[in-house]
Amino acid sequence: MAGFLARRLASLVFVLWAMTVLVFAVVHLLPGSVAHMILGEYATSAAIAALEERLGLNDPLHLQYWRWFSGLLQGDFGVSLTMDRPAGPVILEALGRSAVLAAISIVLVALAGVALGIHSATHAGSASDRALTLGQYFFIAVPEFFWCILVILFFSVWLGWLPATGYTPLAEGGLLGWAKHLILPVATLVLGLIAHVSRLVRSSMLEALESRYVLAARAKGLPERLVLRRHALPNALMPAITVLAVDVGILIGGIVVVESVFAYPGLGRMLIYAIDNQDLPLMMGGMIVVTAVYALANLAADILYAVVNPRIRVGGAA
Amino acid sequence: MLEVAGLSLAYATRRGAVQALQGVSLAIPRGGAMGLVGESGSGKSSLVLALLGLLGKGASLSAERMRFAEDDLRAAAARLRGARIGTVFQDPAGALNPALRVGLQVAEPLMQHRGLAPRAALARAVELLGEMGLPRPAEVADAYPHQLSGGMKQRAVIATALACEPELLLLDEPTTALDVTVEAQILDLLERLRRERGVAMLLVSHNLGIVDRLCEEVTVLYAGRVVEQGPVQALLSAPLHPYTRGLLAALPRADRGGMQRLRPIPGSLPDLTRPDPGCHFRPRCPFAAPGCEAPQALRPAAAPEPGRGERGGDPAGLVRAAGVRRVLCHRAEALAGTPWPAEEAPPAARPPIGGTLLEAEGLAKRFRLGGGVLRLLAPRAEVRAVDGVSLALRRGEVLGLVGESGSGKSTLGRLLLRLLPADAGAIRLEGAPVPAEPGPGFRRRAQIVFQNPDGSLNPRQTVEQALLRPLLRFGIASGAAAEREVDRLLELVRLGPAYRARYPHQMSGGEKQRVAIARALASRPDLLVCDEAVSALDVSVQAAVLNLLEELRDRLGVGYLFISHDIGVVAHIADRIAVMYRGGVVEEGPVEAVLAPPYHPYTQALLSAVPLLGRRERAGARLRLAGDVSTPAPARGCRFAHRCPARLGPVCEEQAPPPRLAGPGHVIACHRPLEELARAPHALLAAE
Repeated sequence: MAGFLARRLASLVFVLWAMTVLVFAVVHLLPGSVAHMILGEYATSAAIAALEERLGLNDPLHLQYWRWFSGLLQGDFGVSLTMDRPAGPVILEALGRSAVLAAISIVLVALAGVALGIHSATHAGSASDRALTLGQYFFIAVPEFFWCILVILFFSVWLGWLPATGYTPLAEGGLLGWAKHLILPVATLVLGLIAHVSRLVRSSMLEALESRYVLAARAKGLPERLVLRRHALPNALMPAITVLAVDVGILIGGIVVVESVFAYPGLGRMLIYAIDNQDLPLMMGGMIVVTAVYALANLAADILYAVVNPRIRVGGAA
Repeated sequence: MLEVAGLSLAYATRRGAVQALQGVSLAIPRGGAMGLVGESGSGKSSLVLALLGLLGKGASLSAERMRFAEDDLRAAAARLRGARIGTVFQDPAGALNPALRVGLQVAEPLMQHRGLAPRAALARAVELLGEMGLPRPAEVADAYPHQLSGGMKQRAVIATALACEPELLLLDEPTTALDVTVEAQILDLLERLRRERGVAMLLVSHNLGIVDRLCEEVTVLYAGRVVEQGPVQALLSAPLHPYTRGLLAALPRADRGGMQRLRPIPGSLPDLTRPDPGCHFRPRCPFAAPGCEAPQALRPAAAPEPGRGERGGDPAGLVRAAGVRRVLCHRAEALAGTPWPAEEAPPAARPPIGGTLLEAEGLAKRFRLGGGVLRLLAPRAEVRAVDGVSLALRRGEVLGLVGESGSGKSTLGRLLLRLLPADAGAIRLEGAPVPAEPGPGFRRRAQIVFQNPDGSLNPRQTVEQALLRPLLRFGIASGAAAEREVDRLLELVRLGPAYRARYPHQMSGGEKQRVAIARALASRPDLLVCDEAVSALDVSVQAAVLNLLEELRDRLGVGYLFISHDIGVVAHIADRIAVMYRGGVVEEGPVEAVLAPPYHPYTQALLSAVPLLGRRERAGARLRLAGDVSTPAPARGCRFAHRCPARLGPVCEEQAPPPRLAGPGHVIACHRPLEELARAPHALLAAE
């Protein structure tokens, strides 16, 4: 297990480093001068030269990369070009707000997805299973921006129950005010993912229920509840864990869309802002943070997988 | 103890109700053992599930009587299973939950039915594992299934079944997935349990040898109906029902050799959605006559006179047989003297074996265990799957390759065809060296048939496409000639032109394997590697495929490397046998020499573990091996030394055994002098 962890951590560090190179390369190696990009097409050459001087764009590339990379290692993401603030705290605040959105969503997806999947598998072929299947395919097929518009129309415009956009910090609006702004974004984020995860849990649970060890467990005279909980579920959850990690990636993509539609001030909206305004330090820092979050989610899934799968945890044959 | 009468079972399917069992009756007395035999699709496993009350949805069960001791099984099965009825399923690797420790799985019934606390149940589980003959039971209890070998897993499964001291054990193909030496160990264990605990058993098996070894009575099931029932020795030595007789005639026997062709049962199982009210074996029965279309009843049969049975009776067995024999055939007694018909065309005289076709010298293959990014930092364990093997195969010859799983048989077969890159060694085809990456010329001449036709036939290709591909690839034929060639190939394997348009899923296992053979023959090869090519087939289909292979050998002069774990099949078809253990050939020679003393101790153990019909007394004299093929071996010296019952001493562990010539072309690699090895009793034939 220790060796497994060490290998996974080493590859995590490698992935993050490779991502810094990639992000840097995309921004600096693409045709066109960075300063030109920032100042727009009508900038005077004097202004461009001044900006290049200020940003150190005349230095050799490897020196620029090293400056940025060593800054990252110390937690310094540079200074935002448009806000005149260090980019680090800006990213961190946005990350915090997105993390709330993501954490609530992923917990909901895991709980509801697994629960619905188990229900469908144990009631396979029943009316409720067929209704769920229909709903699941529907929610997988329809993209989240469609739901964004629909729920805003329904709950905000028509019923007026919930705010359509914005964000209230917990300290200002209290629990209710804070939660009101979260309900619609979370709901639109999780619909498709719950459908996805519950489909998968259904099929892996069905496979486990068809297995010989479940037959053997029943032949031992165990009550069905124990057969499900002790014998079928641990094996059925293994593929679900892998898929949840992949879904974190889908969730990040979804967050960018949802934050834009609901004007929720998170990392996704910040990234869009940075791109729109050519705020390079903010953009590069944001991309690195997103990569790190995804890589860490995969690491967590790998560790969780090893915990439930003794073949990885305990290792080879005797 | 167990009494079932008139049990019928139907499964609802899209094509209508499948009558899986029709009016099955059987009874097992306290402490008795009943064998249940029949080919796949006969309903054996369905009966086990019905007894356990574990039939899935869509199954409808009816029975006149289903009693276990004083309870009605239909109402009480849920309470009895695990407590008073223990079950052992086929394939222990599937029956143990991969995510749970073995100890917990053994302890579960104790916690459930005896109300034991987890700690006490685990302690008892460790005791049980010890009683099953597992060394270091505490460690086994603490392990996960993937850390145990197949034999250890099956012992753990049996320990689970016995945890609550049941009065009845249901054994569903308990040794089918195991090696023959491990199978013998499990049979010893089951026999001991019967003797010491008086457990009654229902043994479901397609292997008549192990039924003969463990049971007093046997029930023969054909397509959901009991066709014959009675004391095991009498029934197997003088079968009455044509189906039973056909099964026995189709069975290759290790103790009979391969002098004559097997006699397969023609045809296949009847359509169970429309059961025949009359005798349902009628379409396949060579003795069918008017009157067979009338409904048959399982009736008591007059015991046939000794000596009039199939291939000569076993008088001793008949004298011992006291139980009632029942048979589902109105002509059983009348037919007792008529032999099962041989195939219409008697096999042509076999052409002489030709010159050397394929030669291999010092072939070696290592597999590295594990891998990954940091592979370079840690030294990895290696398995020497094939370790310096040399062998030769002549034209029209069948070289049988036997050994337990993990001995390197399949790897050797693939090395010979250059399907796997060898680490060392040379291969020559008719004297010409075969390069590491041979061209189409070699591929055309050397082909392979795999065990599992489901895996080797492309599910999206019709039979015609599968057969055309090699014809075009190797330039054998094209256009209309290729079309004719496809028909010829299908005819070779006795399939009609109607099969051309079929996809693999539209054919039975035997038909698919014939297509796989036809595909291998399409390029007109000189060499065919048959890797467990008949192992997945039922006895009657296996007989037909074996006959086909023999016929092709005689007509086309193809040489076979015939890899199998089934000694009976190899003894039947092979001219020479090579015995492999842990990557090396320990004995090689003509079939009659290898099957008779002098033996390599491993060969002797392997042969004496083969269950033979009517030879129950052999079990006592069996040469027993400890452990299994995965037990670590010494680094130098004899690869078999650590398990060898005839070990001489340190020399076995330190020096590689010299290959000694025991007869013409018969080589044994053992430190023991040949005279000593020759004193071993014959492992297959009865001592005179």
